[in-house]
Amino acid sequence: MKAVEFKNITKTFGNFRANDDISFSIEKNSIHCILGENGAGKSTLMKVLFGSYKKDSGEIYVNENPVNFKSPLDAIKSGIGMLYQHFMLIEDFTILENVILGSEITAKTGINYTESKRRLNSLIDKYKLDLNLDDKVSDISIGAAQKTELLKLLYRDSEILIFDEPTAVLSPIEVENFFKIIRNFKEDGKTIILITHKLNEVKEIADEVSVLRKGKLVYSVKRENLDIKELGKQIIGDLELSIVISDDNLQAPEAKAEFEEIDVLLSLQNITLTENGLTKLFNINLDLHKGEILGVCGVEGNGQSELIELISGLNKNYTGLYSKNVRKISLVPDDRLKKGMIKEFSIGENLLMRLPGKNVFSKRLLKEKEQEVIAEYDVRVPEVGDIMENLSGGNQQKAIVAREIKLNCDVIIFSQPTRGVDIKASSFIHQKIYNEKMNGKGILLVSADLDELLALSDRLAVLFKGKIVKIFAGDEFLSGKQNSKELIGKIGQLMIGMEL
Amino acid sequence: MNKRIIVNIVSVLVSIFVTFLLTSILILLIGKNPIDIFVMMFSEVLGSGYGIGQTLFKATPLIICGTGIAFCFHASLFNIGAEGQLNAGAFVMSLVALKLGALPLVIALPASLLAGFIISALVGYVPAIIKIKKGVSEVITTIMLNFVIIALVNYFLIEFLAVKSTVRTEKISDSLMLPQLSDYFNSFQGSSANLSIIFALALAVFFYFVIYKTKLGYKIRALGYNETASKYLGIRTNALTIFSFMLGAGLTSFAGMNFIMGYKGYYELGFSNNIGFTAIAVALLAKNNPLGIILSSLLFGFLDFGGLAVNTEIPKEIMLVVQALVILSIISINKLTEKYLNKQKI
Ligand SMILES: Nc1ncnc2c1ncn2[C@@H]1O[C@H](COP(=O)(O)OP(=O)(O)OP(=O)(O)O)[C@@H](O)[C@H]1O
Ligand SMILES: [Mg+2]
Repeated sequence: MKAVEFKNITKTFGNFRANDDISFSIEKNSIHCILGENGAGKSTLMKVLFGSYKKDSGEIYVNENPVNFKSPLDAIKSGIGMLYQHFMLIEDFTILENVILGSEITAKTGINYTESKRRLNSLIDKYKLDLNLDDKVSDISIGAAQKTELLKLLYRDSEILIFDEPTAVLSPIEVENFFKIIRNFKEDGKTIILITHKLNEVKEIADEVSVLRKGKLVYSVKRENLDIKELGKQIIGDLELSIVISDDNLQAPEAKAEFEEIDVLLSLQNITLTENGLTKLFNINLDLHKGEILGVCGVEGNGQSELIELISGLNKNYTGLYSKNVRKISLVPDDRLKKGMIKEFSIGENLLMRLPGKNVFSKRLLKEKEQEVIAEYDVRVPEVGDIMENLSGGNQQKAIVAREIKLNCDVIIFSQPTRGVDIKASSFIHQKIYNEKMNGKGILLVSADLDELLALSDRLAVLFKGKIVKIFAGDEFLSGKQNSKELIGKIGQLMIGMEL
Repeated sequence: MNKRIIVNIVSVLVSIFVTFLLTSILILLIGKNPIDIFVMMFSEVLGSGYGIGQTLFKATPLIICGTGIAFCFHASLFNIGAEGQLNAGAFVMSLVALKLGALPLVIALPASLLAGFIISALVGYVPAIIKIKKGVSEVITTIMLNFVIIALVNYFLIEFLAVKSTVRTEKISDSLMLPQLSDYFNSFQGSSANLSIIFALALAVFFYFVIYKTKLGYKIRALGYNETASKYLGIRTNALTIFSFMLGAGLTSFAGMNFIMGYKGYYELGFSNNIGFTAIAVALLAKNNPLGIILSSLLFGFLDFGGLAVNTEIPKEIMLVVQALVILSIISINKLTEKYLNKQKI
């Protein structure tokens, strides 16, 4: 039986065809992956299915019945749930309040919390979500926030679950956990639609795969016939694959083992940072050198964002000694919507706001700058000068990376630089980061993606609960990079607080 | 992009049309013929140089004050305190003008304007610093400050400075009075329109440029859209909040020029006649675009003077109702057009 069927779906924005005559179906009780370059139209198609975009033409069938959702509410009523790329949680509410909001179980005297709790706890047990309903959302990790979103879907009895790049924000351990949960969903007869850019994840979990390119469906394949190389080719089109498939050409050889004292750009000595009585960073000692990529890894929420804010000068309430030999630091923040851009402005406007000089923004100047970014970084925009909100997630990310590199500062902080970016753009960004290092810049690379860190870093610091528990450096690290399995194992253990 | 602008203009026109419709019903209810009233109003206001001049005169302070308020609004600072800010500024402006009356115009006029600007800006500093240090919403502080400022001005004026048994200051020197439009164009004869209107127009155009074309303007709008991202983009948000609040508040003081240097020659209690509040509506109506503010100020000026013109037939309060109706219908029709524009999305 088909859980969902798309028939000739077309969706345009102005003259731009985001979905172009797309037809395919999704089997009930399966995990169906949707792949494609940034801007291929994946999110758009899902929003059409979920009723948050109105399609121009075509038909959608759910459980083999034609549907025409006017809003997400209709879709939810038909048992569809969507986990957006960006969480929709109220920080000041507890998990419980967030989950039941909008569909509370009521009693005569108001909300029946006991009954809600009972139901939710049984869901948490059943799917091993490991959540405490009374925790405030502002205090929980990204992984837990995502599970809260999952719980929301379960609570509303969704049978068809749409996940838009759910793994982009998770560390490897959390991804494993997430897949376990998804498999349980499938065992219970649910249907899962999963968007991702990570081919290894597809290999691990997909029953069937559909690939979109430039708004069209170009390829569909079942698990039996799945071939990762072929998949990569289909995603990108007919370009040669060698430059694309991984960062092989960037591996260890150029990594440096020794740094000179004189090349120190930033230096943190005994830095401690406390917020609202909680220690966020503890006794950090760290130097960043010219021509170095210093990797920082850890499960999200272990002090990374505090470290970044401190180094970039946004937070000055620390104790200890922080000295810098550079004037300006540029920064690609982890959360592009909240921190990375003004979504109401265009790419050119976002760039010019950051560039020194140029106090009057003429139309010509804006267009010129924007086209530089678009051409050099292959950013796909519906229309030059369009606001960034109208770009696909990955294209927003590319534009932000481009902007910060263009500022030409001596130190660049990249936090999750390839989050939500497709394989080709991701290796392109890695190349750019590497080039900046070769140009003598000092680079702080904070990432949840261990492969990315291992491919690029000269040294790698592991953060756990605000402490640097280890810095991998020198020959130990470089030789470890060659056979990375063992090294990754070690790092993984350190990240969750185990001693070596 | 272009479609958006056209749709917006259509939406404003539709709202004005709806307002006319509702007003007609209102006029019918009090037993008059709306067509007669409208004909009378249009011919009185637009049919004579005097009517046009009065409309310009009424629009002038709205343009100035609206621009100042819009500047704050762009930074997401809901400055409801223009009434107090402009009274403090205008009061001091008149005092300085009185003191400097003997000096040449090129010194005395800028000096009094500057003094007024500084005072209004300082009044704007108070809610800004409270917001930054204590996180108190500027809506509350500016509303409260209105009462405080007006009471203070009252006190100083009546206790120390007013001409006996009046609520106004002395007259400033004639040399400081601005030329009237009727000095140049005979047809404006009798109206109080003066050179302030040129100042107001130039101010609006200048700030249109600042807000939409300069880096400073972009930073201010960025702050208004997303404060967190602004910080990450390297904007010193606290400093910019203070700057925007002070500049926006400071600008409102110039609204006093129209009355003091352009019309009566003195500061008088109640001269502002709620301009500081009407200008909020003017700015919102124009979506905080200074060029739009020119148009919406003219509309309000038209309604204001038009109300006086038909006062013999209908109570002039009707025009207050009309002003409110314009705002309500524009806001609601705005919602509809937004929906239409998003239809492809939602
Ligand atoms: N509201 C909108 N207005 C105009 N264009 C839009 C809008 N939403 C999306 N687009 C355009 O449609 C195209 C497809 O966008 P979509 O978000 O579906 O891409 P995607 O496949 O999800 O990419 P990514 O992997 O980067 O998330 C993009 O080029 C985007 O710029
Ligand atoms: Mg997307």
